[in-house]
Amino acid sequence: MNSIAIQNCSVSFSDSFLLRDISFTLELDQHWVILGPNGSGKSAIAALLAGFGELKAGSIQGLPSRVSLVSFESQRQLIERELDRDESDITDEIFEGTQVQEILLEDCVDSQRLERLIDLFEFRTKLDRGFRNLSTGETRKVLLMKALCSNPSLLVLDEPFDGLDVASTKILKSILEEFKRKHPIVLVLNRFDEVPDWVTHFVYTKSVSEGIVTYGGIAHVIARDNKLAMESLNQLVQLTKTDVFFPEADSSDAVPELNPVDPLVRMKDVSIAYGDKVIFEHLNWQVDPGQHWQVVGPNGSGKTCLLNLITGDHPQCYANDIFVLGFQRGQGESIWEIKQHIGYVSSALQWDYRVSINLMNVILSGFFDSIGMYQKATDQQTKIATQWLKLLAMDARWDQPFSQLSYGDQRLILIARAMVKHPHMLILDEPCLGLDDLNRQLVLALIDRICRGSETTVLYVNHHQEDAIDGIEQILTLGRG
Amino acid sequence: MSNYFNTLSLRDQLAQLGQCEFMHASEFADGVNALKGKKLVVVGCGSQGLNQGLNLRDSGLDVSYTLRDAAIQEQRQSWKNATDNGFTVGTYKELIPTADLVLNLTPDKQHSAVVGEIVPLMKKDSCLAYSHGFNIVEEGMQVREDITVIMVAPKCPGTEVREEYKRGFCVPTLIAVHKDNDPRGEGLALAKAYAVGTGGDRAGVLMSSFIAEVKSDLMGEQTILCGMLQTGSLLCFDKMIEKGMDAGYASKLIQYGWETVTEALKYGGVTNMMDRLSNPAKLKAFDLSEELKVIMRPLYNKHMDDIMSGAFSAGMMEDWNNDDKNLLGWRKETGESAFENAQNTEQEISEQEYFDHGILMVAMVRAGVELAYETMVAAGIKEESAYYESLHETPLIANTIARKKLWDMNNTISDTAEYGCYLYNHACLPLLSDFMTNIDTDVIGRGMGLNDDSVDNQRLIDVNAQLRQHSVEKIGQTLRGYMGAMKKIV
Repeated sequence: MNSIAIQNCSVSFSDSFLLRDISFTLELDQHWVILGPNGSGKSAIAALLAGFGELKAGSIQGLPSRVSLVSFESQRQLIERELDRDESDITDEIFEGTQVQEILLEDCVDSQRLERLIDLFEFRTKLDRGFRNLSTGETRKVLLMKALCSNPSLLVLDEPFDGLDVASTKILKSILEEFKRKHPIVLVLNRFDEVPDWVTHFVYTKSVSEGIVTYGGIAHVIARDNKLAMESLNQLVQLTKTDVFFPEADSSDAVPELNPVDPLVRMKDVSIAYGDKVIFEHLNWQVDPGQHWQVVGPNGSGKTCLLNLITGDHPQCYANDIFVLGFQRGQGESIWEIKQHIGYVSSALQWDYRVSINLMNVILSGFFDSIGMYQKATDQQTKIATQWLKLLAMDARWDQPFSQLSYGDQRLILIARAMVKHPHMLILDEPCLGLDDLNRQLVLALIDRICRGSETTVLYVNHHQEDAIDGIEQILTLGRG
Repeated sequence: MSNYFNTLSLRDQLAQLGQCEFMHASEFADGVNALKGKKLVVVGCGSQGLNQGLNLRDSGLDVSYTLRDAAIQEQRQSWKNATDNGFTVGTYKELIPTADLVLNLTPDKQHSAVVGEIVPLMKKDSCLAYSHGFNIVEEGMQVREDITVIMVAPKCPGTEVREEYKRGFCVPTLIAVHKDNDPRGEGLALAKAYAVGTGGDRAGVLMSSFIAEVKSDLMGEQTILCGMLQTGSLLCFDKMIEKGMDAGYASKLIQYGWETVTEALKYGGVTNMMDRLSNPAKLKAFDLSEELKVIMRPLYNKHMDDIMSGAFSAGMMEDWNNDDKNLLGWRKETGESAFENAQNTEQEISEQEYFDHGILMVAMVRAGVELAYETMVAAGIKEESAYYESLHETPLIANTIARKKLWDMNNTISDTAEYGCYLYNHACLPLLSDFMTNIDTDVIGRGMGLNDDSVDNQRLIDVNAQLRQHSVEKIGQTLRGYMGAMKKIV
């Protein structure tokens, strides 16, 4: 058998978590890394390879008999086993627990390797210690040594570098380097920059929740030599990390405050028509601070038109009763006074953004609500723009012309451009339009971040149910006019 | 009425022709205040009328439109333009008497009739604005003494005026006050506020005179801007077909070629445009353009002379009175040309290929820009005006050709420009026929295809020096430097 073939597998791990419809083929000369957001099934896939979980459907073929798994879960199990053995409350004797030595020898096949590992990890003096008395990092090392000495035909390591100090990480990496020459390794990692050079394939997991049940699955399997996909994957991993923070607003040129009792938008009996052609009529709509809205409706129902009434780009905003971001329209306000509160992204904007300009300047132009840069940015603004580029994992490419970016990357940059000034309102008109699956997930991940992590109200237009965003609860449906 | 320019003494003529000054941004610190709360009524709702009105309203000003009774009753396109955009529309009688500022944005040929009709309805001490001084300068319109007469002329087609505004920028704008009609000395303040309202202050404003604007504008649009591109398109296309090239490729190379090569012109003048060519191609383009300049100079002089003497406007007004017979006939001819009707190939043409395969087009742009500029400056027009009316506007007109070829260009520009464009074209086509017989596809269509790009150092140095030291390059560098946009984007 030269490969492990998982076909359409659904595997249950608990009442509330299942892997659904997993398929992949891992050749035995490959080394995979599994990446993805928390809770999307990374560890479950690792566990599945080690024979855990209850197979509900599908087939698994070619799984070697000797698979070693090191994970938080396996670490926890070993610690629990030790706790079970502790009968001191009955015997009234101090229980030191099983000695490290004993645990290491349990499934040791290659004692020569074990001796070497003990020296490398400086465990010689700790062999007679009770396993229970080790620190978390030390128990992790014990598990790693144990797994490596059992001579597995497949090694599965779930977050192996977590909790290891720098020196130990280095040692582990060199051992893996050696191991991978003979047998395949599957790693689960949270950080893209931890992925060793010899990894050949990247698996990206994603999950959906239906009621209380979460279904994990595989979104992408990408070979390392696919450069474009790899770049997007890097960004996706970056954006779905839990500890992402948005860069600060520009303190010296902040967007003016709005009166907190006013709605952000209030439309009364609004109608839009071109000649006899009515787009929509008698629309009443109010957007309050803190609400996120999704606007849905078929083509031609006036979704973009509605958004343009807010941004001031639709000329009939002057002929209707519209209150927007502190201004009753048509009372001598300028559109720039309104636009300063709004960040805006659409395909139309992307088409309009044809000026030859680099990524940095595109983001900076968000401070000035302009397409292209016509004013000099301050040092602080430049610093903020750099932080946004970093957030998108594009900081190394700041000087690249915008026009050379992939469609999806352009979209990300435009969202960052819309967000740099921390607007009161972010308007996204079909932000996923024309994007492939990976890029769509990237854009959605960023929007999701914004909905959850900032003071900005999001108005979001899209056609596709699968592009719904969890944080958006209000829905406005436009019918065909 | 008689030609106003011709009534002036030579001294006054020269003084007004020579007026053109770049205004500092600090002169616009008052923004639109001078017009805030005032009532602006636009006459006419074509491209300039609609788009300027949209900008002015978005800048917080009170804008409405007045149209002829018939246009309202029949709900013509101008009425639709205004109402679809949520503007109040009324007749002259209803709205003109309420206006503090009347913006006459009708086509040149209607000016006399329109102004004759609206001035009696205008409030005492109100202001009348033009975006083109033809009516005042060429037709000698005299406006009631209490009325202030100003001009605010965005140096772009109306659609560009709007698009640039929406991008947070705008187009360079000329402003002027008619010195015979500035009874309270408020003309400049009103013109500045108007320019801010259209966004013009962000791209740079030139203080000019009605006369300098009209004479330079006419010259530029007839020769390099529209005329040269029209003639060049027809000649280059026909040459490629004659040499057996694919019509689809030829059509695409020309339609987008002007836009691509003049984009380089916009950023770095003639120097940069020529620098985009390989060294041998640059020398070739230089030689061709030198030759073109010699052949075409008498034609450029003739256009300038006819504009100065009023012969051009007299001829055109004659055609107006003859139901536009010439204009309409020429327009039809343009629509029927082989270039206009060729279908573009699907084949990709890279940005650089437009240069490499369009050496003759580059040469024509250089020759046209330099000739128009030199001719204007020789006639007493200031370098700044001459720059804007030649080099600066060429890419903008090239953009309109990229949209829908010559038909769209002629549709977008004013009737006056279109008329002048055809005049030029009809004179220039035969003028260049000998020149064109010696042209082959190495300079238009296929490129030089050299294996060896080496050139003689001394010759390259000489050519570069001639290109860079031209006066249009020097003033261009200064003016582009003023425009923050250009500086930052590059």
